[in-house]
Amino acid sequence: MAEIIATKNLIKDYNLGKVKVRALNGVDLTIEAGEFVAIMGPSGSGKSTLMHIIGCLDSPTSGEYHLDGVLVSQMAKDDLASIRNSKIGFVFQSFNLLPHLNILKNVELPLMYAGESLRERSRKAREILASVGLSDRLRHKPSELSGGQRQRVAIARAIVNNPAILLADEPTGNLDSQAGGDILEIFTRLHSQGNTVIIVTHDKAVAQRAGRIIRIMDGRIEDGHLTG
Amino acid sequence: MAISLAESLHLGILDILTRKVRSAVTVIGIVLGVMCIMVVLAIVNGMNKTTMEWMSQRGGLSKVEVRPNWGYDFSKGGDPSLSLREIRLIRELVPQATAFNPQVSLPEAEMQVGDSGYVCPVFGVYPDMLKVEEWKIAKGRFINEFDISNHNNVVVLGSTVAKELFSSRDPLGRYVSWGGHRFMVIGVLGERYMKNQGGGETFGENGLEYLNRRAFLPLSTVISKINPKLRISSLELQAASPEKAKEMRKQVEEIILNLKQGKALFRVDSAQEQMDMMRKNSMIFTSIFILIAVISLLVGGIVIMNIMLASVKERTREIGVRIAVGARRRDIVIQFLVQTVLITALGGVVGILLGYAILDLVGGYLKLEVVASVRMIWTALLVSIGVGLLFGIMPAVRAGRLDPIEALREE
Ligand SMILES: Nc1ncnc2c1ncn2[C@@H]1O[C@H](COP(=O)(O)OP(=O)(O)OP(=O)(O)O)[C@@H](O)[C@H]1O
Ligand SMILES: [Mg+2]
Repeated sequence: MAEIIATKNLIKDYNLGKVKVRALNGVDLTIEAGEFVAIMGPSGSGKSTLMHIIGCLDSPTSGEYHLDGVLVSQMAKDDLASIRNSKIGFVFQSFNLLPHLNILKNVELPLMYAGESLRERSRKAREILASVGLSDRLRHKPSELSGGQRQRVAIARAIVNNPAILLADEPTGNLDSQAGGDILEIFTRLHSQGNTVIIVTHDKAVAQRAGRIIRIMDGRIEDGHLTG
Repeated sequence: MAISLAESLHLGILDILTRKVRSAVTVIGIVLGVMCIMVVLAIVNGMNKTTMEWMSQRGGLSKVEVRPNWGYDFSKGGDPSLSLREIRLIRELVPQATAFNPQVSLPEAEMQVGDSGYVCPVFGVYPDMLKVEEWKIAKGRFINEFDISNHNNVVVLGSTVAKELFSSRDPLGRYVSWGGHRFMVIGVLGERYMKNQGGGETFGENGLEYLNRRAFLPLSTVISKINPKLRISSLELQAASPEKAKEMRKQVEEIILNLKQGKALFRVDSAQEQMDMMRKNSMIFTSIFILIAVISLLVGGIVIMNIMLASVKERTREIGVRIAVGARRRDIVIQFLVQTVLITALGGVVGILLGYAILDLVGGYLKLEVVASVRMIWTALLVSIGVGLLFGIMPAVRAGRLDPIEALREE
């Protein structure tokens, strides 16, 4: 299978005045298209930092990052915006839905920035929302939904533009086990449909579903081994 | 992959609808500023139009007037009057004057026809009065050279005088008695009319009614038969053009100063220069109000900038989400800029409407002529859009510069 993600010696430093925090300390990582990967590690180990870089929300201080064969680590901000829009779906622990928009509009958002017509947006968003079981809530505001439902909206938004990779940073962290299980079901299904899925999690049950677990410690990958 | 302008407008309208009260508060300064501009421009337009009308009603811009200088301290000696000899001298020295009308005003006394009488001011004038003051004759004829040289006992009546004395009868050829003398009516002047401004109620709605209440005799008749002691205190001349009138004014002023041993007993004015003065005064008035308008627009703009900055801060997370799903810096900048401009443009429209309402009120109440033009509306609209752009750009750019991760971390 083709490598969809390949990083080489990724380093990320945060400058806090005099102090320098090294959040990533030479990460080498390859992920193939269609993989389901779980990233685990203690708090503060650099999981989110790595996800942000993989998700093109942030750039590394040094090192290389190839996404789908394209070197993105040195790209300009607006080019990264276009990559985020077309190749990446990101699911956050805290959902990050727009409270003023109904869930249909929330899911249409990436399509708007992709320049799709109003009609196409609506069609695709409805279709995706149906696939996560929210067809009867299209006009509801996020505040009118449960946590699990909100996270399903966020997943719908992440996959509506058909991204190359789906990233999720502790997607079940704010959910009870029932809702978390539902969300995990969706990720498993998306993976089985051929999507590349990368999930940061503290939950062993979640990690067990993944094809591979990557452990991070102090900004370094400890070892990468296949499970199951 | 940018979002279109239509999309930005759509977003902007949604944003405004979501935050109606805030948008309304934001825009109060703009509404007031635009309203101010509207009202001032309309009033100034009206004033200019009125002034022009007034000037042309009083004989156009080529007129030069000589009158006693009431600002002069007459206790120093001197009498603000001209003898017939001096008048003739002036006429010879300004041959270029196309019309020349010295006049004396007589004390008011009753003019009688049979049983009816009417008190009106009476003037002794030259035939040129008709030309200098641009009168029209309604009936008969005006005083001519022959009346002057023969000292004829003839009178020309203003339209109101004729109506009061003769009602529907034809006054031509009839006699009126005045100050113990009898005069034959040879003509009636056309009515002069100008809509009254500012609600002066004395003469009803005609601002020029006082002119219709005058009667005119040949100057020579007045001096030779009525009162030889009367002297000429007013002189009107007409030049070929407003520009020539300015030169003529200087020349006449010098001549009279020389005649009166350098005492400024008379004022000499040219209508053009008076007009220029009024224009200048109205310019000052305009400038002051435009300044007020600009200040309120600036204050309004600063308010908008601050509210938009606060809005950007409050919506940081939203901006982060938009950037995270693929909005480019430009998309965010345009979103906020369009929103600001929409708010100010709407404020401008409200300001224009309020301005119209106020003009309606002011125009009706003060009987002031106001002239609102389409150009003003465009000006007001462009100004409000301009304010939106000017003060919206900084918050919008700040929104566009946000880092998505930091923005998403914001609570
Ligand atoms: N914006 C920032 N400024 C300074 N330091 C930061 C910043 N973001 C992260 N760090 C630091 O980088 C290190 C890695 O942070 P990161 O958020 O990636 O951890 P994490 O593995 O996601 O932890 P958790 O499991 O608690 O979410 C931490 O020491 C953190 O303090
Ligand atoms: Mg984290």
